[in-house]
Amino acid sequence: MLASLWQQLSDSPVPIDSVDLAWAGLAPVMILIGGALLILAVDSLVPRRLRPGSYALATVLLAAGAMVAAVPLWQRVQDAERGPFATAAGAIMVDGFSVFATFVILSAVILAALSFDGWLRREEMDGAEPYVLMLLSASGGVMMASANDLIVMFLGLEILSIAVYVLAAMHLRKITSQEAGVKYFVLGAFSSAFFLYGIALIYGGTGSTNLVRIATYLSATVLGDSGLVLAGLALLLVGFGFKVAAAPFHFWAPDVYQGAPTPSVAWMASGVKVAGFAGLLRVFYLAFSTYRLDWQPVIFVLAVLTMLVGSVLAVVQTDVKRMLAYSSINHAGFILVAVQAATAAGVQAALFYLAAYTFMVAGSFGVIAVVSRKGDIGTSLDDYRGLSRDRPVVAFAFALLLLAQAGVPLTSGFFAKFYVITAAIEAGSSTLAIIAMITAVISSYVYLRIIVAMYGAGDDVPAPRTIPLPAAAGLALVISLTVTMSVGVFPGTLASLAERATPVLIPESDPGAVDPSGVPPGP
Amino acid sequence: MIAIAQVTPVWYLVLASVVFAIGAVGLLVRRNPLVMFMCVELMLNAVTLTFVTFSRMLNDVNGQTVVVFVLVVAAAEVVVGLGIIVALLRKQPSATADDLTVLKG
Amino acid sequence: MLPTLLAELSAQNVVTTPLTQAVVLPFLGAIVVSLIPRGRAELHRVVALLFAVGTGALTLSLLAGFDRQDSGFQFQVNRVWISDFGISWHLGIDGISLFLVVLSGFLFPLAMVAVAPSHDPKPYYAWLLVLQGGCIGVFCALDLFVFFVMFEIVLVPMYFLILGWGYADRVYAALKFFIFTMFGSALMLVGIVALTFLNRDGVVEANQARVATIQSEMATVQASQGLSGPDTPVDPAIAASLAAGEARIERLLNPKLNFDLVTIAESQTVTDTSTGASPFDWGAARWIFLAFALAFAVKVPLFPLHTWLPDAHTQAPTAGSVILAGVMLKLGTYGFVRFGLYLLPEPSVFFAPALVTLGVIGIIYGAVVATMQKDLKRLVAYSSVAHLGFIILGIFALTTVSIEGGVVQMFNHGISTGALFLLVGMIYERRHTRDISSLKGLQKSAPILAAVFTLVMLSSIGLPGLNGFVGEFLVLVGSFLTRRWFTVVAAAGVVLAALYLLWAFQRVFHGEPDEENADMADMNWREGLVMAPLLVLIVFLGVYPKPMLDRIEPAVARLVSHVENHSDYTEPAVATTGVGVDAPGEDGG
Repeated sequence: MLASLWQQLSDSPVPIDSVDLAWAGLAPVMILIGGALLILAVDSLVPRRLRPGSYALATVLLAAGAMVAAVPLWQRVQDAERGPFATAAGAIMVDGFSVFATFVILSAVILAALSFDGWLRREEMDGAEPYVLMLLSASGGVMMASANDLIVMFLGLEILSIAVYVLAAMHLRKITSQEAGVKYFVLGAFSSAFFLYGIALIYGGTGSTNLVRIATYLSATVLGDSGLVLAGLALLLVGFGFKVAAAPFHFWAPDVYQGAPTPSVAWMASGVKVAGFAGLLRVFYLAFSTYRLDWQPVIFVLAVLTMLVGSVLAVVQTDVKRMLAYSSINHAGFILVAVQAATAAGVQAALFYLAAYTFMVAGSFGVIAVVSRKGDIGTSLDDYRGLSRDRPVVAFAFALLLLAQAGVPLTSGFFAKFYVITAAIEAGSSTLAIIAMITAVISSYVYLRIIVAMYGAGDDVPAPRTIPLPAAAGLALVISLTVTMSVGVFPGTLASLAERATPVLIPESDPGAVDPSGVPPGP
Repeated sequence: MIAIAQVTPVWYLVLASVVFAIGAVGLLVRRNPLVMFMCVELMLNAVTLTFVTFSRMLNDVNGQTVVVFVLVVAAAEVVVGLGIIVALLRKQPSATADDLTVLKG
Repeated sequence: MLPTLLAELSAQNVVTTPLTQAVVLPFLGAIVVSLIPRGRAELHRVVALLFAVGTGALTLSLLAGFDRQDSGFQFQVNRVWISDFGISWHLGIDGISLFLVVLSGFLFPLAMVAVAPSHDPKPYYAWLLVLQGGCIGVFCALDLFVFFVMFEIVLVPMYFLILGWGYADRVYAALKFFIFTMFGSALMLVGIVALTFLNRDGVVEANQARVATIQSEMATVQASQGLSGPDTPVDPAIAASLAAGEARIERLLNPKLNFDLVTIAESQTVTDTSTGASPFDWGAARWIFLAFALAFAVKVPLFPLHTWLPDAHTQAPTAGSVILAGVMLKLGTYGFVRFGLYLLPEPSVFFAPALVTLGVIGIIYGAVVATMQKDLKRLVAYSSVAHLGFIILGIFALTTVSIEGGVVQMFNHGISTGALFLLVGMIYERRHTRDISSLKGLQKSAPILAAVFTLVMLSSIGLPGLNGFVGEFLVLVGSFLTRRWFTVVAAAGVVLAALYLLWAFQRVFHGEPDEENADMADMNWREGLVMAPLLVLIVFLGVYPKPMLDRIEPAVARLVSHVENHSDYTEPAVATTGVGVDAPGEDGG
């Protein structure tokens, strides 16, 4: 009887319309989400505890698998004949930009997962949740980087953020972690609402949420009253500003960075920021390039404020996590300088900076996670005194990573700053370049203070203490240091990758894709 | 009696912006985490109203589809957000935003 | 990946050129030293010395192979590093940089032999080697980017040397040193990038004429084919030639960025600044010069940016002070010559009066403050401020003789002040104080030390017959032609130098030693071995500076004519008649 029913249904003459999906283009996201659900299922179904470290290993393998899946995508989008393509009814764009950002985000996942492993065991919190949350968060980040539609970008942002709220509040025995979680959540939700309202206004002004259609509409139409679009852009900028911790929307960052579990912070500072900037570039540089004369001055002010806040306020801090929180604000300002240029060189510089920065900052927070003590405490500057004696190799690696953040030559951080400065000067923003370099000097003082604590403790060093270095955390440190130093000597490879990672605007190009709304845009 | 003019879509837009502003201001001035959270919901609902109105104005179904997404996201935020807030309130039963001062500097 | 890279590098002859070797060898040494296990303390010293001496020998071989007739850059190596930005590994030396390279070559091994670190020898030697590589790199770099990288990289090892092995107030001194110098060079990076874009604009501007020629040629060809504008000619050969023409225009109008020092310096063709006919925007170039000048002025250091210097010198370990005074201060003065006069001649001439003024202020200020110092090391540090003022005066007096004097003085100051710091370090090692008032009558207890000190001090004062005289004399003679009154004031500085050094000498070495100073050990053979080459140089270059001057003069003469060709400056005629070029040598003999 079932068979006959099946027969009857199969013979149904009307096929159901469905959106054509280029599954290969979505493979990295699929692997991340599927892997996260799989880990979650295994964790709840397997009665016995798995060997410690197996979740971390699984996470690293999943991220690596997603990278492998992204390699053919890169080859395809770089291929002159095939090129970038849009899929999911033009809502997702697979181009050099999105694949590059995917690689960076996945690297951040790997580094943070390696850092999580030993940290979780020290805190006796062994479980799959942080890994699952991070994988989901990463999938949101990848979605943001490849969003070709503002709604998809909003969804990516929320998938990214909601998981991170939990990651921040994860340490149940530590009140500051909860506090960080609540603060991050309330302000994050607040900024998401602004972001969404911005999308609504832009939708009202242009008649679409699709980036391609917005761009086409804006270049074809001279708006008599662009108030709606401009207000929408401003609100979007508020939302992005919160996510990337740009002043004046930065104030949550120091508190959250200090309170949240350190490996979560490694992810927040690297992956979340990359995704935020990827989204920012896509929306502003691509879709609203016709409005650049309107938004460039705003970004200019934001960049100056962000760099100043990030460098000056860092000087007075005494907690290393807070110091690095402010320094990451300073880095965000630098990337905004590249965004402000609004040129291909600017995008290249921003991507190079994000890639280099991810390894520096994830490595740095990895060190902090190792040096802190049980209960995730011991992150004040005093706790670093004598580190060069207790753990000379870790101290030296940390010093190199900090110098890289300061932009000392022969490290990736130097080239990152160099490319940003070059892009800014080429775009005629020499003032911004000068301000940027001055703030770089101010914030280098912060890094030097940490180095002084490690190396210049003098005669009144505290009693020696043993600092265990878990193998996974050591591996993360080796990876981030290797990348930082080798890119510092031979930046050409990464620079040319970043150069080829151009974001593009093309309507859905895979054959058979269905345009769901035949409605022409415009009120 | 003054005849009320026909209700145009602009009315809805204005209403939505007022509700959004109430939510935003409320979040900034209220100190109870739960109330702050409710203000966020208010803001999201205002955006929903805006979307529907624009959808109607533009005669475009996409705006209404968006609303479904927003509702789902809001629900997810409720689940996670309430979880975090409850976890904090368990540790500090009378917590207000002003009490969250362990982290500062 | 690494083997292929190495194979590629060796295929391009990068590794086999002596300059690359001299730059890379110390870095390699640093890596080797840091790979030696901690326990083998004696090995660190030996291996580090081997690398430092090897580098020194390499630099001496450069000296031997240097062609004294050639005024241009020698031993050049030029390979692409980052092609997108036109950055290349371009090294080369001329008479101006030759002796500074040699100075960095042999001062480092001497400093290593002279003092062993009190603790942690491994990082100490590794940092010293990095420092050596960086210093040589600065003096060899002919690419703005390579120069900046090397200029900046030397901060890190010096910072760690002061921080790790310095004296009581080292944290403050190290931070101050790093922040001051980094601040200077941060703006220089902006200047460098701005200059390359400026240069590109200039190139495009200069190419316009050729573009017009090509366009008219193409138009002729098209007309001969009876075609108008966009039509494609039937004949494929002509079509190809037209396409080639288009491509050439495209290349001429979109040149690559270029960081090459020589190219940028020589491409500033037209120089009539009054009519603004130059394709090079000199107004912007002046701002860029200021960015460069700030970095160099901090490094030199010029009054009023000198405040980091006494702290850093006093707190640094002896080897650090020797290198700081002997080599690292020259990064600034050398920068002024190479990246001021040579790279940006017109702005250099424009700002020369201001810089000369600051230099002369530095001479007097350094001397006066040195007189008042209670700490022997601080006194020597302030004497550096005065000496470096002389060099700045010489450079920006802009005559062949004065610049030559400045270059000679750079080398001589490296020797004599380096030697002074070594001697002060020896006294400190024995007495654990540098306080002048608590030292007394050392001549009785340590006669050899006192004798060596006397000679070095006299060289620093500029006594005829010793090396210090040659440079100061040339600077004064050369500057007198263009900056008469400044020269007169500067000459007073020589007198002041005699005053503070002799007075300090008198207080420390003369008189009857009290209990503490009576049994101070004299110089041992190891210290004698370190001082011997320096003493030989002090006397030899004082008596017979001709070999040195012969090598420096062509490069300086070329530099001055470069400045003349690229600005409205002309050297006063008297200076070129050769007055005094050989005179001091004969006088001294």
